[in-house]
Amino acid sequence: MRIVILKAGATLLTVAATVLSALYVTAHLKNPAAPLQPTVLNASRGASVSAPGGTLTLGPSVQPSTAHPVTSTYAS
Amino acid sequence: MHPEAPVQAHHFEALGTNCSLFGIDLSRGKLLEGEFWVRRLGARLTRFAPDSELSHFNSSPGAWRDVSPELESLLRESLRAFETSAGLVNVAVLRSMEAVGYTRPLSEGRPVATERRACPVPALVEVLAVRRGAARLEPGAGIDLGGIAKGWMADRLRDSMGPNVLANLGGDLSAGGAGPAGDGWPVGIGGATVLLREQGAATSSVRRRRWGGEHHHLIDPRTGLPARTGLEEVSVVAANGVEAEVVAKTALLVGPELAPAYCAAHALAWWLSPEQ
Repeated sequence: MRIVILKAGATLLTVAATVLSALYVTAHLKNPAAPLQPTVLNASRGASVSAPGGTLTLGPSVQPSTAHPVTSTYAS
Repeated sequence: MHPEAPVQAHHFEALGTNCSLFGIDLSRGKLLEGEFWVRRLGARLTRFAPDSELSHFNSSPGAWRDVSPELESLLRESLRAFETSAGLVNVAVLRSMEAVGYTRPLSEGRPVATERRACPVPALVEVLAVRRGAARLEPGAGIDLGGIAKGWMADRLRDSMGPNVLANLGGDLSAGGAGPAGDGWPVGIGGATVLLREQGAATSSVRRRRWGGEHHHLIDPRTGLPARTGLEEVSVVAANGVEAEVVAKTALLVGPELAPAYCAAHALAWWLSPEQ
C-alpha cells in the first residue's frame, strides 16, 4: 500500500510540474510574434543582382564597391 | 575618402595555376618568402610527383604513416569538409579522377579521355584516419587535396605574411586587414567588385580543366563521374579561403534548385552560373 501511494504521489508531482511549467512558459513568451522561420530564408531573397551568365547575391556582411578589383576569384 | 595606400603585388605560377600575393607595407622579401613557401609546400602536396609526401602517403595504404604537420592539418580539414558537406566534398576521389583520365598535370598536355566508367568514391571517414603526427589510408583509396589545399594555403599566407595581406592561389583567395583604402580588399566575383576583410573567396567550376568532350576534373562522389548538376560555376565569399572552397564545391554539386538556400545558410556572398 505504501509503495502504491509513493508511486501515485511521484506521478502526480511529475504531472503537476509539467503542467505548471507549460502554463508558465506560455504566459511568459518573450516575443509572441517572433518568426519561426530561420532568417536565412529571407537572406536567400536578399540583394540579388542578375548579370550575364548568372546571379550574384550579397549578404549583409559583404559590401559592393566601385573600386577596381586588385584580383578576382576564378576557375583555375 | 580614405587615401589609397600603395599595394605591393607579386605574381607567379605554382600549384599548376596562377598565384598572386598582395600586401600593404610589405617588403619584396616577404612576398618572395610567401612564393617560396607555396612552391615548397605545393611540391610536397601534389599527387602528380611520385616522390611527393602525398604520393608516398597514397602509395602506402593499410598502415599508419608519419605525416608532416601541414599534411596532418590538411587531412583533418578534409575530414571536416566531408562532414560539413554531407560527403559531397570528398578528397578520396583520386581513383575516380584517374579512371576518367586525369593522370597528369594539364600543363603537360590534355589528359587522354578514357571510356566513361564509374569508379565508386569511398566515404572519406571510412578510408582515412588521422591521429597526432600520423595518418592511415585504407587499401584501394587515394587522396587528391585539390582546392582544399589552395584555400588552406591562402589562409596560412594571410595569417603569416602580415596584417594587411591578400593571397590568391588560383582563384582560392584569403584577405586579411583593411586593404588599400581602409574598407577592405576589392575583389572581383561574378562580374562585380566586393570588399573583403578577414574573409575568403573561391570558385568551383566545370568550365575549365575539360577534356574529351564530357570529362572534367570535378568528380561527383555520388556517381564517381564528372559532375553534371545544372550549375557550371559557383563563386562564394565565406569566413576564410578553405571554407569558401568547400561551400562553392558543395553548392555546385547540389545543383541549381538547392544551391541558393545552401549558400544563404553557409556563404556571405555567392555567384551561381547555370549551364549555358
